[in-house]
Amino acid sequence: MTGAPTPAGEPNALGPGEIAAATLACLPDMTPARLRALFEHCGGPIAALELVRSGGTGRAIPPALRRREHGEWSELARLWTARADPTPTARRLARRGTRVWVDGGPDYPILDGVPDRPAVLLAEGAEPGALHAPRVAVVGTRAATPHGMADARELGAALGDAGITVISGLAIGIDGAVHEGTLAANGSAVGVVATGLDIVYPRRHALLTERVRDSGAVLSEQGFGVRPRRGLFPVRNRIIAALADVVVVVEATAGGGARITAQYALDYGRTVLAVPGSRRNAAAAGTNALIADGAHPLLDWGDVLVALGMSPAAGRTSVPAPPRPAPGPDGKVLLAALGGECATPDELSSRTGLSTPRVAVGLIDLERNGWVQRSRGAIWPQ
Amino acid sequence: MAEPEGPIVLASVTSATLLGVDGQVVTVEVHVSSGLPSYHVVGLPDAAVRESRERVRAAVLSSGFKWPSTRVTVNLAPSGVRKTGAGLDLAVALGVLVTTEVLPDAALDDVAVLGELGLDGGVRPVPGTLALVSALARAGTRTFVVPAENAAEAALVPNVVVHPARALGELRACLKGEQAWPSVPPPPDPRPDEADDDDPLDLAEVRGLAWARRALEAAAAGGHHLLLSGPPGVGKTMLARRLAAVLPDLSPDEALEVTRIHSVAGRVTRALVRVPPYRSPHHTASVAALVGGGTGTPRPGEATMAHRGVLFLDELGEFPPRALDALRQPLEERAVWIARQAISLRFPADFLLVACTNPCPCGLGPPKCGCGDGERARYRRRLSAPLLDRFDLRLAVRPPGPDDERGEPSRVVRARVVAAVGRQRSRLAGTPWRRNAHVPAGALQRFAPLDAAAHDAWRAECEVRQLTGRGGARIRRVAQTLADLDGVATIAPEHIAIASLLREDVP
Repeated sequence: MTGAPTPAGEPNALGPGEIAAATLACLPDMTPARLRALFEHCGGPIAALELVRSGGTGRAIPPALRRREHGEWSELARLWTARADPTPTARRLARRGTRVWVDGGPDYPILDGVPDRPAVLLAEGAEPGALHAPRVAVVGTRAATPHGMADARELGAALGDAGITVISGLAIGIDGAVHEGTLAANGSAVGVVATGLDIVYPRRHALLTERVRDSGAVLSEQGFGVRPRRGLFPVRNRIIAALADVVVVVEATAGGGARITAQYALDYGRTVLAVPGSRRNAAAAGTNALIADGAHPLLDWGDVLVALGMSPAAGRTSVPAPPRPAPGPDGKVLLAALGGECATPDELSSRTGLSTPRVAVGLIDLERNGWVQRSRGAIWPQ
Repeated sequence: MAEPEGPIVLASVTSATLLGVDGQVVTVEVHVSSGLPSYHVVGLPDAAVRESRERVRAAVLSSGFKWPSTRVTVNLAPSGVRKTGAGLDLAVALGVLVTTEVLPDAALDDVAVLGELGLDGGVRPVPGTLALVSALARAGTRTFVVPAENAAEAALVPNVVVHPARALGELRACLKGEQAWPSVPPPPDPRPDEADDDDPLDLAEVRGLAWARRALEAAAAGGHHLLLSGPPGVGKTMLARRLAAVLPDLSPDEALEVTRIHSVAGRVTRALVRVPPYRSPHHTASVAALVGGGTGTPRPGEATMAHRGVLFLDELGEFPPRALDALRQPLEERAVWIARQAISLRFPADFLLVACTNPCPCGLGPPKCGCGDGERARYRRRLSAPLLDRFDLRLAVRPPGPDDERGEPSRVVRARVVAAVGRQRSRLAGTPWRRNAHVPAGALQRFAPLDAAAHDAWRAECEVRQLTGRGGARIRRVAQTLADLDGVATIAPEHIAIASLLREDVP
């Protein structure tokens, strides 16, 4: 018995076109726009790689790269020609088990019609096939409140539970909570990062990134070695919007990146849902503005399934939240005084008129039974 | 071997110099021998001591005495200790007067002499008189000649006889018994009115903020460091400033200690400082200004000036990180050690740290804050985790509600604090600790015992909040203080609950 058949899932049946595309994507100073210009001008990654290796001149160069705003072609050629050797890249791809999805290829996950979709996507992870399932992106601010974090976790779990692939950006805040929720429900999580796949950012999410890789995939359009830069994140957000069938914004500040994602999603014709919040919550200003601009308010997790065209009851197996002991009389008064928003013990004392010891005992009781949570000096109802 | 020509005369006068905030006994030996007229000071003098030559000579001459026209050598013993300041002038001058037989040898037996000289022979005050006299008294001296301005201060030391010195000429007459000593200024009013006028801030002016007030009270009673976090203009500073009005007076020992430090820092003191010091350095303060040190003679910093009182740091995050790091040692050991090439000085620094901070760069705090997680984390990093951990009490302050009523006046709160301090004093008698905040974790079982119900509450709280051993111990100490304030013998579960809510993860 020789030459056992390669398993179906063998990742590194990479063709020369894929290796060429990855080689180009990994060149220093390569940008998504330059890569697309090269592919389109040369008619494909293999021809594009040949052009770069030959250091071509004149009309062989894509017109876009001849323009000044893309930098001097002579400098780019000097930078690229010597480095455009596909052999080390092929070795690296094989070693890391990286998949290469070229626009127009069979596995390329973004539907046609998205104008500035990436020319190539690199993917790593145990279950890249997760992208064949219905896909929902859940995004939000890094400045999330405990309420937003809890919502994101619940939503991630509910969607994961319903067999929906949940896409987010592996950032601090809402993104991280969504992934956590999906992973907790044994769902498929897909993270789209703004750096190279070999760079973990933020560092705090190193473990989370590993777990997302194990449950689904981590995607990037950037080559290896690309470090986090301010400008890369909004560019990455368009991939999240393009990948998803439905985009949900859980909490967003008035000017945050989550709003950029939502704008892309609207441009691409995706359904956008936003979780409404209190007018007093700065982290809900962005979602409320989205709703005012025509996004659907997300009042129940089932709304996402409806937006996907699925029946809300379908595939729902999630266990209801564990019952919590009913709050005592003081607890009820305190919950009413919170009114669904956060408050300090001082404010609760003032609103209820209860003595400090009664407020203290009541709050500790509520916390212990899961009715409230304490964070940043305030009490947050759960 | 030729015998030395002419008389050899030696005089010895007891004096003292400052070493940090303590006095060091110095024996001033004046040796006059034949030879070309000259003047030498040996025994590690600093510049001010070396310059004494001109002051002493001018003072002796203008007081109408003769200056020896021979070789004068002044030795300051022990020679290994650096002598600072001009406070040894008078001792040197009296030594010279003995060698020229203006004064009898016996006139300076068992007398210690302090004072700086002016060119006209007048005696000027010296800083740290209280510390110097205390050190000399410990060494057995009972009779003191000190500058008239410092006489009242020197008389604060128990069981000493203080003679005020105004001018060298008059002093000679008094020492020889030809003239009566001028009288020491009358003992000062034990409770000077100025301290009360100083402090018109009353807690009654604060509306609402029941929890912040409770935290303030616990800080004052138990010595728990307090961190208030909140948006600008919410009243954090207003609240912290009112802490002074609820602190108990210093005990006699503490008062002597504090007065000594303040005298070393150059304040002319007439009365014991009975009110705990309240220091609020600006955030531009340097490391040396905050914890002490500096070039040349190490000087006490704000941490030492706040000894047995309050160190208030407004806008904690604006202080340079190095300065805050330097505060960690005094927070832990309640003293600052300044190491220099030859010596290591200990400055006492047992203060209550009260600090204010904004919750985040925008200052608004939840829920209105729109700062990103990263921004908040960066802001928080200015306050290192070990520093934040030292605060037993940490809470967010928000503007009071429209219907909130005025609170109790400071006088009522102060009475509770005084009672709670008394309870701690009797419970902790015979230990090195004065307040609940000082009790180490290992001794809590004895000095902050929990009954079954309180223990259950405490254990549950530690589990729910996933507290470390240290975090749990801090809550327990505060709970003990709350029980002391309530005047009850044992910690109740509600004390644990309040203590836990008074230690939040702010800013």
